[in-house]
Amino acid sequence: MFEKSLTDLIQGLRANKRNEADYIQKSLEEIQSEVQQSDMYCKSTAIDKLNYLHMLGYDTNWANFNAVEVMASPRFGEKRKGYLAAAQSFHQETDVLMLTTNLIRKDLASSNAMEVSVALDGLAQVATPELATDLFDDVAAVLGHSRPFIRKKALVCLYRLVLKHPEGLHALAPQLRERLDDPDPSVVSSAVSVICELARTNPHNYLPLAPRLYQLMNSSTNNWMLIKIVKLFASLTPIEPRLAKKLHGPLSQLICSTSAMSLLYECIHTAVVGDIIGVPLPVTDGVGREIDFAELCARKLVLFYESADHNLRYVGLVTLAQLQARRPELVVNQYETVLKCLDDPDLSIRMRALSVISGMATRRTLDRTVKKLMSQLILSNTIRLQPVASLPSVSNTEYSGKYSGDAADSDLIALATDATGASLVSARGSIVQSRQLSAAGPGPADSPEYRLLVVEAIVDMCTRQSYANLSNFEWYVAVLVDLVYTAGVDVGQLLSEKILDVTVRVRQVREFSVRLMRQMLSDGQLVSCATSGSSAAKVLCTAAYVLGEYCSLLPASSEDIPLLLPSCLDKLDGEQQATFIQAAIKAYTNWLRDVAGYWNTEIWELVRAVTASTMSQLSDLLAARANDGNALDGNTAVAELPLQVSSRLRHFVEITKAVSMVTSNPSESAPQLCLELHELFTAYELNPVSAAAQGKVPLPDGLDLDSPIGGPIPDTEHIMFPPPPPVSSEPRHRASQSSGGRKQRRGHKNEAFYLDGGDDVRHPHSLADLPDVDDIPVVQLDLGGDESENATKT
Amino acid sequence: MIKSVLIFNQLGKPRLIKFYEQIGTTLQQEILREIHALVAKRPDTLCNFLEGCHSMGSDSRIVYRHYATLYFVFVVDSSESELGILDLIQVFVEALDRMFENVCELDLIFHFDEIHYILMEVVEAGMVIETNLAEISRAVNEGKQLIKPASEHSRLGIGALRGFV
Repeated sequence: MFEKSLTDLIQGLRANKRNEADYIQKSLEEIQSEVQQSDMYCKSTAIDKLNYLHMLGYDTNWANFNAVEVMASPRFGEKRKGYLAAAQSFHQETDVLMLTTNLIRKDLASSNAMEVSVALDGLAQVATPELATDLFDDVAAVLGHSRPFIRKKALVCLYRLVLKHPEGLHALAPQLRERLDDPDPSVVSSAVSVICELARTNPHNYLPLAPRLYQLMNSSTNNWMLIKIVKLFASLTPIEPRLAKKLHGPLSQLICSTSAMSLLYECIHTAVVGDIIGVPLPVTDGVGREIDFAELCARKLVLFYESADHNLRYVGLVTLAQLQARRPELVVNQYETVLKCLDDPDLSIRMRALSVISGMATRRTLDRTVKKLMSQLILSNTIRLQPVASLPSVSNTEYSGKYSGDAADSDLIALATDATGASLVSARGSIVQSRQLSAAGPGPADSPEYRLLVVEAIVDMCTRQSYANLSNFEWYVAVLVDLVYTAGVDVGQLLSEKILDVTVRVRQVREFSVRLMRQMLSDGQLVSCATSGSSAAKVLCTAAYVLGEYCSLLPASSEDIPLLLPSCLDKLDGEQQATFIQAAIKAYTNWLRDVAGYWNTEIWELVRAVTASTMSQLSDLLAARANDGNALDGNTAVAELPLQVSSRLRHFVEITKAVSMVTSNPSESAPQLCLELHELFTAYELNPVSAAAQGKVPLPDGLDLDSPIGGPIPDTEHIMFPPPPPVSSEPRHRASQSSGGRKQRRGHKNEAFYLDGGDDVRHPHSLADLPDVDDIPVVQLDLGGDESENATKT
Repeated sequence: MIKSVLIFNQLGKPRLIKFYEQIGTTLQQEILREIHALVAKRPDTLCNFLEGCHSMGSDSRIVYRHYATLYFVFVVDSSESELGILDLIQVFVEALDRMFENVCELDLIFHFDEIHYILMEVVEAGMVIETNLAEISRAVNEGKQLIKPASEHSRLGIGALRGFV
C-alpha cells in the first residue's frame, strides 16, 4: 500500500503553499483511514504525520486511542512516535490515559534503556493524579537503574509525579538526598534542579541539605549546577542568617575566579539579594588585596553594565538597582555611566537605567537628570506635542534658559523664552528640525509606558522627602508646566496634584506659580483640549483654583474673569465647573477691590461694563442648560445643572446684581460694597491640614464612648421571630468567637439602635446558633406497606 | 522551570513547539503568535530578554536567540538564570549542528521529530537534565542505532522514490 511518509507530507505541504488548507484536509482524511489499519508501521507513520500537523495547530485528539496503540508497539522507533503524540496532545482529562498504566509499567521495567527513557519522559509530561499514584513505585524502582542516563530522567519524572500525588514527597525526599551523592555528575545536577524547584514553595524543608550543597558548590565544575545552587542559596539565606557567613568565603572565591559570565552574575546577584554583602568580613580580591565584599561586587558589576553586550548590560542594571536599594553609597559614583545607559535604544535597558538614576538624585545631579529626561520626552519621533500658542513673554530670568545647556548639550532645547522674549518660535523651529533628522520609526521614547515612567520619575525625584533635592522651586514649577505640554500621556492628575502641593506649601513660589497658571489658562489650544476627564481638564482646573485663590498676588486684571469662565466650561464635569466658577467669583471681587482704590468716572464706567458683560456671560451659562432640556418637559431643564454648579452660578449672579445696583449712579468714591466683597474669601488664611491631624486632637475628659445610650430596650423581636434555641456547650468549628463576646452581641442584638458589625441585626439566628447536623433527630420512615394508605390519603 | 520551547522562522511559521504545561491547541497557537509578534520586530542590537508575555502567566520571561532565519525561544519562570538559559540555547543549537552537520532551517523542517528527540535529551518536563554536549550526542545516537534496523525493511517501497527529492 502506497501511503505517504512524513517526508512526503512535508514536501506536499511545501508544494501546495497556495491551497494549504485543502491539502491538509485531504491528508487528514488519508490519515484517518491509515490509523485504522492493523499494520503497526502504517499506524505509526500516520501518528507521526499527525504530530506534525498538531504543530501547525490542528487538533489531533480524535486519534488518541490510536496513539496509545502505537505506544504499545514492540519496535522502539514506532513506540517513540506514540509517546511523542501523547506528550503533545494528551491533557489531564484524556480518557485513554487510563489504558496506558500497564503499558508504561511494562516499558519502565524493560531491559532496553531507551524504552525506559522514552517512557519516563512521556510519563513526566502527561502525568495525572491516577497515573501518578499507580506508577509512583515503579518509577521509584527505576531510580536504582545501573545507567546514570536513566537515573537522572527518573528523578525528574518522580518530581512531576509528586506534583500530582503529594503524598509521594515523603518517599522522594530521602531519594533526593541519596542522589546528591551519586557518582555521576548529571544525576547530581538533576537532583539539584529538583531540589531548587521544590524549595521555591517550601524552603524550610530543604535547609538540612544545605551542608551537602555547600560541599558541592566548592567541589563541582559543572556551571549549570553551580548556578542552580547559588540561586537556591539566595532563597535560603533569608530564613537562615548564619548561612550568609558561611557563604561569604566560597562566593567571593567564585566571583574572583570564574570566567563564566553567567555564573559570575548569579554569584553577585545572590550576594546582593541574599544580603551576604552585609556580612562585615573582608575578602581578598584577585590580586590579594583585602577589600570589602560589597565593594568587590560593585566593582565586578561594572563589567556588566559597561559592557557592549546588551544582555550583560541589562542584567547588570537589574542587579545595580538591587545594590542601590541596600548600599546606595556604592552606586552614587556611577552616575555618568548610568546616564549614558539612558540613551540606549533598547527600551528595557532604558527602563532599568531610569529606576537606578532616580534613586541617585541629589541636589547637584537633579538639574542634569531632569534636563536629560525632558529632552528625551521632547525629542520623541512620533508623539505630537501640544502646540503652544504664542505666550506672552515672561521676564522672569529663572524661567528662561532652563534647558539651554552648555555646548555639549547643544541638542537640548530652550523651551522657555529667553530674556529678550522672542525665541520661543525659533525654539519650536529647532524642535521640528531635530525631529526631521531622526526620521526613523518609533523609538523607545515613544512608548507610552516609558514616557509615563519618565514623568513619574521626574516628579518623584523632585518631591522626595519633602523637596529635599530642590534648590529652586520656581524651576520646579516651570518643569511641571512644561510636562503638561510635553508628556504625551495621561498624567494630568499627578501634575495637578503636584502643582497644587507646591503652590500651597511654599509661600515664596506662589506669585510665580500664579503667573504661570494665568498663562496656561490664556492658552487657547490647551483650553480647547479640555473635555471632561481629560488630562488637560484636570490641570486647568487646578490652574483655575490657584489663580482664584492667589490672584491678589498679581496686579489685578479684569481679563482674569473671562479666563475663568472659558468656553469649554460646559464640557467639564460638575466638580471642575464649580471650581472654575468659584475662582471666577474670587477674581471678580478681587478686581473690584483693587479698582476701588483709585475710583473715578472712567473706573465707574469700567466697573459697570465688566459687571454687565459678566452678568450676560453667567445668564448664558444658565440659559444654555435650560435649552438643553427636553422640549416636552421644560421642568427638567435647569435640574440638569449639578447642584454645586447652579448654586455657585446663582451666588455670582446675585453678587453682580448687587454691584450693578450699587453702581447704578456715578459716585465720588467707591461704594463700600466693592471694597468689602473680597473679604468673603480673605477673612483668615486656611492652611493645609495633615491627614493625621484628627488623631492628635486629645479627647476631652469625661467623654465616654462605650457605655450604651439609654437602657436596653425590651426585647420585641420574639414577637416577630421565635427565640433562638439554647446554645450548646460543644465546641463547634463554626463558633469562632468566645462565649463572652457572643453574649455581648446578643445583648446588643436587642437594641435596635446599635449597628452591629455582623448579621445579627438582620438575621435573628447567627450561624453559630443553628443546631448542629448531629442534633437533628433521625426518624425511621416505614414505607413498606403503607404506600397504598398514603396514596388514598392524598 | 522552563515553560515552553519554541522554534519559528521570521514569518512565524513553527518549526518546533513544545509546552511543558498542559495547554490546549488553540491557546498554543495564540501564544506562538504573540511571542512571534514580540520577538520578530526586535533588531539584533537589543538584549535577548523580554518580560511581560501575558498569555504565559505573570512569572514568565522570554529568552531568545536569533540564528539566521530562525528564532529559538525559551519561555522560563523566575527560577531560571537568564544568562544560563542563553548558554543552554547555544548548547542545544550546537547539538543540532552535530546531528545534522551544518544544520539549516530545511533540516528542521524535514526532520522535526528528530529535533524533538534531541530536545528530549536536554530538557525533560521543564527541567534541564543535561548540559554536556558529548553526553547529549551519545544519547541521541543510541536512539538512532535502535531505529535503523526497523526502518530499513519497512521503507523499501518509498526509499526508491527518495532519489527524486
